[in-house]
Amino acid sequence: MATDIQISIVGSAGDGTIAAGDILKNALAGMGYKIISFDIYPPEIRGFGKCIARMRITTEQAYSLKHKSDVLISLDDSHAIPHAGEVRECGAVIYERASIVQLPEGGHISAHIGPGQLPYPVPVRELAEKSTGANRSRNIVVLGFLAGLLDLPDEAFLKAIAKKFKRKAEAAAASEAAYRIGRDFAAQTFKLDDVVFGPPVSTVVAGATVEMISGNAAIVRGALDAGIDTFFGYPITPATSIMERLAAEMPKRGGRLLQTEDEISAISAVIGAGYAGARAATSTSGPGLSLMAEMLGMGVIGEVPAVIFVSQRGGPSTGLPTKTEQSDLHMAVFGGHGDAPRIVIAPTNVDGCYRCAGKAFELAEAYQTPVIVLVDLYLSNRYETVVFPARPPFEADMNRRPGKQSAGAQYKRYALGGDSISPRAIPGEKGTMHVVTGLEHNELGRPSDQAEMHEAMSRKRHEKLKAALKHPDLTTCKRFGDEGAVDVGVISWGSNFGESLEAMLKARGEGIRCAAMKVVMLSPFPTEAVAAFLADCKEVLVPELNYQGQFANLLQAHVARPVTRLNRVPGEPMKVEDILEEIRRLAGRKAAQKAA
Amino acid sequence: MGDTAKKARHHIIVGSGVAGSQAAETLRECEPDARITILTLSSLLFYNRYDLPKVFRGHRDWREYLVYPAAYYRDWKINVRRCSRVAGVDARRRVIALDHKEEIRFDTLLVASGGRGYIPEDLTDFRPLMHGFSSYTEAMSAANEVPKKGHVIMLGGDMIGLDLARTLIDTRHRVTLVAGPNTFWPHEVDDDERPALIAALEKMGIEVLEGADAGGIVSIEEGARGLSARRVVFRDGTELYGDVVMPFFGLSPSVEFMLGSGVDIERGLLVDPALRTTTEGIYAAGDVCQIWSDAERRYRFYYGWKNVRAMGDLAARNITGSSDPWVPAQDEKLHISGDGKIQSPFWEYA
Repeated sequence: MATDIQISIVGSAGDGTIAAGDILKNALAGMGYKIISFDIYPPEIRGFGKCIARMRITTEQAYSLKHKSDVLISLDDSHAIPHAGEVRECGAVIYERASIVQLPEGGHISAHIGPGQLPYPVPVRELAEKSTGANRSRNIVVLGFLAGLLDLPDEAFLKAIAKKFKRKAEAAAASEAAYRIGRDFAAQTFKLDDVVFGPPVSTVVAGATVEMISGNAAIVRGALDAGIDTFFGYPITPATSIMERLAAEMPKRGGRLLQTEDEISAISAVIGAGYAGARAATSTSGPGLSLMAEMLGMGVIGEVPAVIFVSQRGGPSTGLPTKTEQSDLHMAVFGGHGDAPRIVIAPTNVDGCYRCAGKAFELAEAYQTPVIVLVDLYLSNRYETVVFPARPPFEADMNRRPGKQSAGAQYKRYALGGDSISPRAIPGEKGTMHVVTGLEHNELGRPSDQAEMHEAMSRKRHEKLKAALKHPDLTTCKRFGDEGAVDVGVISWGSNFGESLEAMLKARGEGIRCAAMKVVMLSPFPTEAVAAFLADCKEVLVPELNYQGQFANLLQAHVARPVTRLNRVPGEPMKVEDILEEIRRLAGRKAAQKAA
Repeated sequence: MGDTAKKARHHIIVGSGVAGSQAAETLRECEPDARITILTLSSLLFYNRYDLPKVFRGHRDWREYLVYPAAYYRDWKINVRRCSRVAGVDARRRVIALDHKEEIRFDTLLVASGGRGYIPEDLTDFRPLMHGFSSYTEAMSAANEVPKKGHVIMLGGDMIGLDLARTLIDTRHRVTLVAGPNTFWPHEVDDDERPALIAALEKMGIEVLEGADAGGIVSIEEGARGLSARRVVFRDGTELYGDVVMPFFGLSPSVEFMLGSGVDIERGLLVDPALRTTTEGIYAAGDVCQIWSDAERRYRFYYGWKNVRAMGDLAARNITGSSDPWVPAQDEKLHISGDGKIQSPFWEYA
């Protein structure tokens, strides 16, 4: 029996909502299920905003979260009530049986449980007090109850609890007691058996390792596996955890990490390190990318490798710092002054985060330019079960070295001709003395304002990037679904592709001929492959999480044809149902669906 | 501005059984715009408790027992709040207090909370060792404990229990009835009728032990290792071994939450023939109420599916403006049919 269950835990900051989600997904991943999860949390530190830990547990590959959950756990009714309607028919709602304060009519979640949903009141507070002697570990009590309700094995949960509290013995013991009392309470509760886990399915190939990992953690792993030497950064949500994780790991591997005073310093230092031959990177979000824009131009004109991990959030300005959005595409691809082409790649899932992060260092070295890896909060914080290969699939050195200079010849750092990629010497190499400057320059790197030279160098900087479209083992774009002519083609990018793919697959299940394409490389743009895909599509749908339709703008700049835009800015992932509905409409199926 | 819309009344029904559910449906028909809320302790929507013996025939899926699908409640705009225990009723403020500390205002209240299985005081200490049968959950719990061809010890033997006994015999289980004054409840059986009725039970395959003949039950215990799960010990030393012990001593009206509400209570809520309690705007229907009988000059209970359903319907009609009197809807006489088996009108439902 295939398993496809989505569980949402909703609480207030400080309730341990996210921690409960972490334990749950670790336990389930440990049992061998595939997980996709995404947590939502407020900008406030504690005691105000809403936290949601939401995860989809499957045996088959899934690409996005579901619109409806199978189980909703309320740790705080005031936040969970708006989500009661998101539980499917015969899905379970688990909640605190009684409030400690007087409630107005409708103030308890039981008032909002629909007739098709199954209520499970649990005396969470009472059980927590009984097991821990204090009103603590309510989140773990409900996990115990959930494990009992769904008949999940204790070992996986106890292991996940021990892992979570490995440095806090007292908390670990209290949590285990809380878990067990919740589990025992479930034993007394009649189970309405509609949410059922089938056995997990192992798909691990020999030598590979399977881990449940977040997008940002995957970026870090990719960077480490690609041999990152130096990192300079300044914290900003939702990119901070990249720096935090690297700070823990890099010293162990002989790397260096420095928190600079701001983003301008960070990118400047990265370009300096890249100039010196290091594999260097920084991470930031939209506001930080704005500050880095000038030095990005420096990296472009100096042809210096640099990697910038950008995790988007709702903007502009401080905007929605803890909400997701895909509204920095224009900034990433076009932002800055002058003709400053750069490579921009956008993974579409957590596995992609790993691969793109590692490949970014190859690309930066191979094409001697800054590379932006563009993700968003949804992908940064999303957890998925990823199969990591036995050996890192990244090249350790992609530099084109200058070779031995003939006697009397001057080393041309910016030599024109060929594929426009000049041999790059690392400062200090004998006989390769050269100048790197932000000024336009000649082949030797010396300042030049001659029209012909500016034209030649501008062409060089653009032309060399075309080769990146054929970089080995890098997916620039990929088609899924029906081959040949289709009624509807969905083309999407970044984190939103999972929802697009899921919607397309559902549409196919309804008999609509359709296909989907993910575009990973946003700059340079894989025009040829995308144009071929669009030519197959009677209708083209472009769903994305920004108001302007920034990807649609980019698409139409490269391939002139009308598309249907589906732009949303909810601060949360797009709903599969919304995309599916649009596919149906474009396929002329709306009336038929409604009639059905 | 034109006429202002009249604010829809909020009718609350406590209990989602036959009476409460019928009342909700009639209320909706009579008052299309009213707010209707059913409060129930059950975690399930309205299901047919009379069908519960089917769990011993292998019908274990709760969905089979639901009388209406979830869509019915959405279509009829009937809000059912399950797992909701009423803590008290403030008739003056027209407010119901729920156990979880929520207050709900009402315009009219219909109490249709039914009854729970009554257990005589001398047996209450043994409650954890007995299996009730008044809800789907209890029925499933009992069914899970009784093996194939297992032995059920039935105490009391009201008509709900005897209905179950018929199914158990049909499904090749062994049933021993410890008979007593509540046997055949709610039928009122004369002493001279009783031997023939007991003989009819034996003819049906039920083993009968008159509890009083053995001096009454002294204890109910867990069976020793290797023996049946339960042992019932009588004063004269008689012992019965079975897989479960199930009490069927009739029903005790669920009225605790009405204490202090101002409504007159004897054993059940006292209502006039129009099913009005002694407090304006509060009605009662079903197994929870005692209706004034002009003919008998006393308040009395009326049981059975047809009666209870009719009470729900009548209460709703009277809440919405009628003032019709209660007329019993079914025969109450226990019969012995041509094949020598007992036949009760309380077993006729649906």
